Amino acid sequence: MPDSEEQLLVMRDIMDSQLETRDKRHIGRVADIEAEWRDDGKFVLVNIVTGPEALTGRVASRLRPMARFLLRGHFEHRIPLSDVENFGPTVRLRKKAQDYSVGQSDRWIADHILRWIPGNGR
Amino acid sequence: MAAITRALRFIHKDAGSIIFLLLVLLVTIAGCRLTQSAFTRTAGNAGSAFAAASTTLTYVHEGKISKAYAASSFVNYTSELDGLDQTLPSQTGVPDAGTLQRLLNLYKPAMEVIHSPCLDESCDWRAQVAALDSASKAFLEVSNS
Amino acid sequence: MKKWFGLALGIVTATGGFLDAGTVATSGEAGAKYGLGLIWAILVATVAVILLVEMSGRFAAVSKKAYASAIREEFGFKFYLLPLLSELIAESLLLAAEIGGIAIALSLFTGISWHYLFPVAALLVWIMAWRAPFSLIENGPALLGLLTLSFVVAIVALGGLPKELLPTLWKPEIKSGELADYLYLVAAILGATISPYLLYFYSSGAREEKWTEGSLLLNRVTAIVGMGFGSLGSIALVVLGAIVLQPLNISSSTLGELGLAMAKPFGQIGAFLFAAALFATCLGAALEVVLAVSYNIAQGFGWEWGENKKPVEAPRFNLVLLLFLLIAVGIGLLGMDPLQLALLASTVIALFLPFSLSPLLVIMNDQDYLGNKTNGRFINIAMIVILIIAFLVAIVSLPLEILSGGG
Repeated sequence: MPDSEEQLLVMRDIMDSQLETRDKRHIGRVADIEAEWRDDGKFVLVNIVTGPEALTGRVASRLRPMARFLLRGHFEHRIPLSDVENFGPTVRLRKKAQDYSVGQSDRWIADHILRWIPGNGR
Repeated sequence: MAAITRALRFIHKDAGSIIFLLLVLLVTIAGCRLTQSAFTRTAGNAGSAFAAASTTLTYVHEGKISKAYAASSFVNYTSELDGLDQTLPSQTGVPDAGTLQRLLNLYKPAMEVIHSPCLDESCDWRAQVAALDSASKAFLEVSNS
Repeated sequence: MKKWFGLALGIVTATGGFLDAGTVATSGEAGAKYGLGLIWAILVATVAVILLVEMSGRFAAVSKKAYASAIREEFGFKFYLLPLLSELIAESLLLAAEIGGIAIALSLFTGISWHYLFPVAALLVWIMAWRAPFSLIENGPALLGLLTLSFVVAIVALGGLPKELLPTLWKPEIKSGELADYLYLVAAILGATISPYLLYFYSSGAREEKWTEGSLLLNRVTAIVGMGFGSLGSIALVVLGAIVLQPLNISSSTLGELGLAMAKPFGQIGAFLFAAALFATCLGAALEVVLAVSYNIAQGFGWEWGENKKPVEAPRFNLVLLLFLLIAVGIGLLGMDPLQLALLASTVIALFLPFSLSPLLVIMNDQDYLGNKTNGRFINIAMIVILIIAFLVAIVSLPLEILSGGG
C-alpha cells in the first residue's frame, strides 16, 4: 500500500494475522514480533516470527524454555519487515511461497507422508 | 492501586470458573433427589430392550423387516442385556430376594432367545416371543413400582 | 433458472445437515420415553441453529474469512485454544458416533455386526473427504437425506397423531425419579442440534463456494427453509417414537429400534428407508464434522486448506483430517453403542456451547470484518438469549450425564 508510512498500526493489525505470499499461498500466521529499541529512541519492528516455539511462548512464558529445548529453533521462522507489503488481517509478503522456509513442513508432508496414499494429486 | 486491579482481574478470570464449578456442584447435589435408583433404571432399560427384541422377532416373522435387519438388531440387544444377572443383584435399590430371584428366572430363558433368535420357520419362534414378553413385563413392573 | 437450482440445492443440504446420529438418537428416545413432551426443546434448538447458520454464512460471505480465522485474529492465539480444545474433545466423540451410525445402517442392510462394518464406514468417509470435491460432499448425502421426508409420510400412513398424545406437548408425563433423565435429553437435544461444527463447516463452505455479498439472500433462505425442513424430520421421528414405540414399551435405546417404527406402516420398505436415511444423514454429518475440525485447525494456524484443492496442495490440512479420523476410529473401536455414544457426544457439546458460541457474538458485530452487514439489534438479543440458554444447559449437562447414567 503506497501510504503505509502514514498508517497507524496496532497489535491487532499484526498479531495472529494470516501470512500470504505473492503467489497467494498461505504459509502460516504471525506468532510473535521482534522489535529493536534503537539508540536514537526509535522503536522499530524488525522481524515477524512464526512457528510453534513462538506460539508456545505466547500461551505461557514459562513454557518458552521448554519449547526451545524440545524444538531447538528448527521450526522458528523469521520474516524481515522489508518483506511485508501491507499489514491487516492478512499480511501480504513480497516473495513467493517457495522463498520462505516456513512452507517446508507442507512440502515435507506432501513428499514423505502423502505420497504413499493413492490419489494425492502429485 | 495495583492490588485492586489484581483483585478485579482475579474476580473476572478465576472467580468466573470457580462460580461455574460451584454451580455444577450445586446442581449435582440437588439432582441426587431427581433420579431413580440404579436398579430401577437398569431394570427399566432391560424391560424395554426385551420388548424391542420381542417386537423385532414378531416383525421378522410378519415380513415387516428383513432377516438381516433382525440379525443386526439382536447383536445390539445382546450387548445391551448380557451380564445383567451379574450386575443387578449388587445395585442400589435392589428389591427383596424373592422378587430378584423371580426376575433372574425369567432373565435366563429370555437371554437364550437373545443369543439365538429363531429368524425362520424352523423352530418355535412364538415360544421365544412369549419368553421375551414375560421377561419384559416383569422387569418393567419392577422398575415402575 | 440456475439461481433457483442453487437455492433448492442449498435447502436440500441444510435439511440433510440438521439430522445426524445425534438428532436421530435424541429424537427417537424423546418420542419413545416422553411422547411429544420434548418437541419444545427441538423448536428452541431449531430457532437457535437457524440464527447461527445464517450468521456464519453471512460472516464468511462478507468478510471472506472463515470462523476459525476470525476467532484467532479477533481474540489472539491464547483465547483461540479454548474453543479449539473443546471442539477436539466434543467432535472426536461425535465423529465416532456418526461413523457408528453409518456402520449401524450398513449392518441393518447386511446383517453383519456393526463392529466389523465400523472400519468400512470410516474408510468410506475418508475416501470421500480425501478426493471428492466440495460440491459432491455437500450435495451427495444431502440428496439421499431427502429420504427423511418418508418419516412424515409414515406418520400419515399410521393414521396421524392420536388426540390423546397432544397434551404431552405442553404437559409431558414425567414419572417420579425421571426428571434428571428428562432434563438430560433436553441438554442432549440442544447439544445435538446446535452443534458448533456447523459454524466452522458452513463458514468454510461459503469460502469454498466463493460466496460474496450477493449471496446473502441465498444464505438467509437456505438457513431458514433448510433448517426448518430438517427439524421437521426430527419432529417426525419424535412422533413416530411416540406413536409406535411408546405403547410397546420400547425406549429406542439403539438405532435399529427406531427403524421398527417405520417398519410398522411400510414393512420392509419402511425399514429400508430408515436405514438408507440413517446412512445418508450420518455420512453427510461425518464428513461435515471431520472437515469442520480440519478447517478449524488449518485456518487457525494459517495453513493452506480446501476440499477443492488436490491433497498435496494442502498437505497439513489433509494430514490433520486423516489423523482426526483415526482418533475417532480409535474411540469407536472401544465398542460403545453408537446411539449411546451420540447422546454422550451431544451432552459434551452442550457442556462446551458457551465457549464455542460466544466468540460469534463479538465477531458478528465487528465492522472491520462486516462493514454495514453486522448484526441488527434483534439478532444480537436473540444471540444473547441463546448464550444464556447454552450456559444454563452447560451447567446442568455434566451432572445430568452422571446422574442419569447416560440416559
